[in-house]
Amino acid sequence: MNPEVVQNILEKHNEGQDGLISILEDIQNHFGYLPQEALQIVADKSGQALVDIYGVATFYKSFSLKPRGKHLMSVCLGTACHVRNAPFIVKEFEKQLGIRAGETTPDREFTLETVNCLGACALGPIAVVDGHYFSKVKTVKVKEIINEALAGFDKIEIKTDQRIFPIEVSCPRCNHSLMDRNNLVDGHPSITVTASFGSKHGWLSLSCLYGSYNVSSEHVIPIDTVLNLFCPHCHAELISGSNCSECGAPMVPMIVRGGGVVQVCLRRGCKGHLLDLGE
Amino acid sequence: MNRISSVEDFKNFRQRILEEKRIEDTRPCLVICAGTGGQASGSNDILRIMKRYILERSLQEKISIRITGCQGFCEMDPFILVEPGHNLYPKLKMEDVPRVINAAIAGEVVEDLLYNEPGKNVHYDNQEDIPFFKKQTRTILGDNEKIDPIRIMDYLERNGYSALEKVLENPQPDWIIKEVQQSGLRGRGGAGFPTGNKWELAHNSEDHSGQKYIVCNADEGDPGAYMDRSLLEGNPHAILEGMIIAGIAIGANKGYIYVRTEYPLAIKHSVIAIRQAHELGLLGEDIAGTGINFDIEIVRGAGAFVCGEETALIKSIEGRLGEPRQRPPYPIEKGIWGHPTCINNVETLANVPVIISKGAKEYAKVGVPGNTGTKIFSLVGKIRNTGLVEVPLGMKMKEVIYDIGGGPVGKVKIKAVQTGGPSGGCIPSDMFDIPIDYDSLAKVGSIMGSGGMIVMDENTCMVDIAKYYMKFLKEESCGKCYPCRKGTQRMYEILDDITKGQATLKHIDLLEELANVVKDATMCGLGQTAPNPVLSTLRYFSEEYIEHIVHKRCPAGVCRDLVGASCQAACPIGTEAWRYTAHIANGDYEQAYLAIRETNPFPSICSRVCDHKCEERCKLGQVGNRPVAIRALKRFITDNIDPSIYQPQRSSQKKKDKVAIIGAGPAGLTGAHNLSLMGYPVTIFEADSEPGGMMLSCIPEYRLPREVLTKEIDAILDENVTLKCNSVLGKDITIENLLNDGFKAVFIGIGAQKGRRLRLEGEEGEGIYPSIEFLKAFSQRNEQLAKGHVAVVGGGNSAVDAARTALRQKGVDDVTILYRRTREEMPAFYEEIDAAIEEGINLDTLVTPVKIIKEDGRLIGIKCIRNSLGEVDSSGRRKPVPIPKSEFILPLDTLIVAISEQPDVDSISPKGESELKIRDDGTLEVDKDTLCCSRAGVFAGGDVVTGPNTVIDAIAAGRKAAVMIDRYLKGEDLNQPEKPRAPEVYVAPCMLSDEKLDQLSRIEPPRAPVDQRKNSFIEVEKTLSEADAKLEAMRCLRCDLEFTQPKEEKIESLIDEEKVL
Repeated sequence: MNPEVVQNILEKHNEGQDGLISILEDIQNHFGYLPQEALQIVADKSGQALVDIYGVATFYKSFSLKPRGKHLMSVCLGTACHVRNAPFIVKEFEKQLGIRAGETTPDREFTLETVNCLGACALGPIAVVDGHYFSKVKTVKVKEIINEALAGFDKIEIKTDQRIFPIEVSCPRCNHSLMDRNNLVDGHPSITVTASFGSKHGWLSLSCLYGSYNVSSEHVIPIDTVLNLFCPHCHAELISGSNCSECGAPMVPMIVRGGGVVQVCLRRGCKGHLLDLGE
Repeated sequence: MNRISSVEDFKNFRQRILEEKRIEDTRPCLVICAGTGGQASGSNDILRIMKRYILERSLQEKISIRITGCQGFCEMDPFILVEPGHNLYPKLKMEDVPRVINAAIAGEVVEDLLYNEPGKNVHYDNQEDIPFFKKQTRTILGDNEKIDPIRIMDYLERNGYSALEKVLENPQPDWIIKEVQQSGLRGRGGAGFPTGNKWELAHNSEDHSGQKYIVCNADEGDPGAYMDRSLLEGNPHAILEGMIIAGIAIGANKGYIYVRTEYPLAIKHSVIAIRQAHELGLLGEDIAGTGINFDIEIVRGAGAFVCGEETALIKSIEGRLGEPRQRPPYPIEKGIWGHPTCINNVETLANVPVIISKGAKEYAKVGVPGNTGTKIFSLVGKIRNTGLVEVPLGMKMKEVIYDIGGGPVGKVKIKAVQTGGPSGGCIPSDMFDIPIDYDSLAKVGSIMGSGGMIVMDENTCMVDIAKYYMKFLKEESCGKCYPCRKGTQRMYEILDDITKGQATLKHIDLLEELANVVKDATMCGLGQTAPNPVLSTLRYFSEEYIEHIVHKRCPAGVCRDLVGASCQAACPIGTEAWRYTAHIANGDYEQAYLAIRETNPFPSICSRVCDHKCEERCKLGQVGNRPVAIRALKRFITDNIDPSIYQPQRSSQKKKDKVAIIGAGPAGLTGAHNLSLMGYPVTIFEADSEPGGMMLSCIPEYRLPREVLTKEIDAILDENVTLKCNSVLGKDITIENLLNDGFKAVFIGIGAQKGRRLRLEGEEGEGIYPSIEFLKAFSQRNEQLAKGHVAVVGGGNSAVDAARTALRQKGVDDVTILYRRTREEMPAFYEEIDAAIEEGINLDTLVTPVKIIKEDGRLIGIKCIRNSLGEVDSSGRRKPVPIPKSEFILPLDTLIVAISEQPDVDSISPKGESELKIRDDGTLEVDKDTLCCSRAGVFAGGDVVTGPNTVIDAIAAGRKAAVMIDRYLKGEDLNQPEKPRAPEVYVAPCMLSDEKLDQLSRIEPPRAPVDQRKNSFIEVEKTLSEADAKLEAMRCLRCDLEFTQPKEEKIESLIDEEKVL
């Protein structure tokens, strides 16, 4: 556990004087659970007794004092799901994973949890796996869901998946095409711009496939870096007024051929993007 | 976008947007729901395909897209709604998207993809006409389909923030509070406290610092309710607008949205909305240059139901342990950090801009006095149309359940609706006439709560529901006060004992006492309302509790320890369907026969005519597959195995007491057989010339060949059984005489043999027959009574039997079945109706005969009237209502009336001389647990007690009668404790992999070709081939293995239900 992370979180929250719950939430978001050492640091810095922090950490359902698996599977046991046989779904997950609800597999791959209600009651039984919702889950589908999670939901078959398609874009300032036919990403001409971060400055090629997050770049760009992007033709900075709905970083607009705007989040690794057609 | 600097500026800005909108966009728009529900159902994929198609064909100029939050009709996700026509395309597949887009551009519709009423062949062009939407008043929720929640412009274009403009023009709290008071708005979070009054109190409440807070409670902890999520997710600016107005009204400069962490999308959209409102200058310091400061912060609830309780919520906002405290002081006086705090629910706040814009008077026109405005409900559970519905308060429960919700899924009946979540109660279906308002719901022992309506049907166990809530509550009880902490725990334990068959009747009293103590002695709302689910289920469903406790049965087939394998539990005689299915899968056919024959003396008969309750309850059917064809498997065995391999266990002891059985139908014969095995000498008195009862006289030979029937009857007539035919009760014998003649006990199983009449003039005479008479004439005397044009009135199996028999008679031109409701409501077996239609029988539904037409005393036709389906009646089905002037005449030569039968009471009690009690409907009254009549030594069962019923139920009555008569003759107590029947015999599994199972579909038994069978009485249904039977048997999920696997092999998680529920 890196104590600096906890320090930073405390700093963000008024030196730990803000609500304890939001501090613990941030810690859990980072580590996936609440490490004991982290709670100790919170106690030391905020002046609250460790026992009170422990009290809050165990009172609320969303906190975990134990490390959780790579994949989090939550099965809803709200009333609507309950009357639609959700208990069988839990049993099936337990059977397939070989653990009980509330436990993590020994290899730390999976954690199985039940939740009181996920608020998608009309479509029960509901399961949420790594943030992906599954509606009207049937026992016979559970195994499939687990396999899908294991393979990774973001894994896409670029060639066969009909949800993936190329977009051609141009600079919102000079309207020059940003497509680079010499530099292929995902086997398609890439969207190439100039990127700068810190003292580095170089080309960055984005996949033109909507739904693919692959890039290649002159410099290695660390995850979470917020970039500045420039048009390689008119050298104007690409910037829009709006911020990413996922992470709050600024977004970059590009003009879509045929009408429309695509906005890409400037934070490396963030998957926030918007495709507006015909504005 | 520049910050708005003055109210004037705000006005102009809004005006400009509204004007621009009016001229700008004429393109058709594809609206797609991408709320949590939509995304769960794949709307993102649909969206991608939409964008791809538009981009690839450069259609940007011709069509637009709007991505919205939840629109309410979640059952239909993923769907596209096309504007301006409001064409709804539900449950879309990716490959259908291009057709929808092309049609939208061309101004056309894709008929085959439009919304279709399930079971009916009507599609709806316009969403407004769909029954789900028709009765709704979507004042609040309606905006969700017009707004992309991450675009503030969409909200402004819908005249959003106009209420705020009005308030900023005159930011005096007095008029705002008065307006809200006059609107009659009551808190939508549950308790229904008048919002205006709360604001007034908060406004007048001052502490020395002047600091006040407004809180939007979005901690929608009630499992089953999700309207708050949908509002925050789908229209966050409306909530912000409501909060800002509330802030101005009470004098708060800070607001919190306390939202569940399980609602990531709602949080995301709120964050975006807050940022946008900030950028526009509508939030933060100096709002629109008025000098008013108001800011909003989001606090995520970390998952604790008790935080819905306002004092606990406040602590949670402060970042502390969410334990409630005593009130007073109320949060209005001392709230967050000790400052006055006004807490309003999301939906309450969403109503505020409507009230301010429209004016209180206009608002109060909707609903009923004291309960004004609309309320959003989440209609979920066992109902056809699930989703969010918004209706005026005061609407009848049944309008919501049946008209909007579309009634039950399939043929099961809706039993109850649970409102108000864990704090609410269950309302039984016979009370669905109540209006939905705060006071009416409280009167029947429930509450409005946040608006969850969980519909429960016959497959929902009310004891299990009470246990479910108590489990939830004991876990969510914060533990601060003892009566709640311990009380919910103990109530749970008692309920758990009941569902496991380990309780006695005394536990019910204890449970009730405990519930009342918890109600009275706990501190906060959670504890005070916690007993509601228990008390309301005890109040309305006490018979289910008694079934669990006394008979160790869970009628809904839910409670695992009492149900065992659900197929076995569903069978009235407890046949181990799982066991013979397993034997078939293993190729062990003789063992399969023995398993069947053990409980059932008529296996070949049942394999043809049983109504297979086992299949209705088959787990496979409940997990998304079709149930195992259990009856067809039974047929495969009985057709292939020699019955003589079964040697019944006989008592070595011969008994002296003679028993008389009246009626040689399935009930009487089974009773006689079982008593004979116990060693009793039995005499069966049968009115007809041959034994068999209805099986012989009324089930046609094409369903049940004569030799199959006689073979099985002959096999059970052994040396202990004397059969006396042509002995008519009331004529040749009487119950009195039998008892005087030395019979120590009498069992009456004479069935229900008198056909009910249509009660129309001229119903007597040639050409008009009750179905039972018609079928008997043919089966017993080979008289072919049908000729020419034939009509059969009725929708049950006897109607279909009569129709198909008539079709096979000489001189019949055509046969029509007339039924007053729709095909879905017909009680006859689905496959029988199918076969009848295949054979060319006309099925005319929604028709009622009103007049018999005769000429010279001869039947020439029948006058009928067409019906439409009206309100739901006590049977949970819609009442047929005659359509004026829709009469028509059907020319007829034969009319068969098959609208139910009743017992011939005169024979049981000639001239009312016997002491036996007869019920109003003409059936014989017995104690349902012991089958005792009102006279000692006389027992009865089968149709004579239940009215027309199935063969298997009659067999069950015969079995039970034998046990009771034995106890009676031995002088034992008739009521003896029952035991739950869990599977005991271990049969090795021979199952398919999940993948294979998923690919296989149910194998139906083959039928004889139509042209071969429709003019003859050859058997219609055939036997499965061995290969098919084995494959079908392998589809079984083998629920029994949970109970019978050797201990060491048990998977821990499977046996411990505790962990799961």
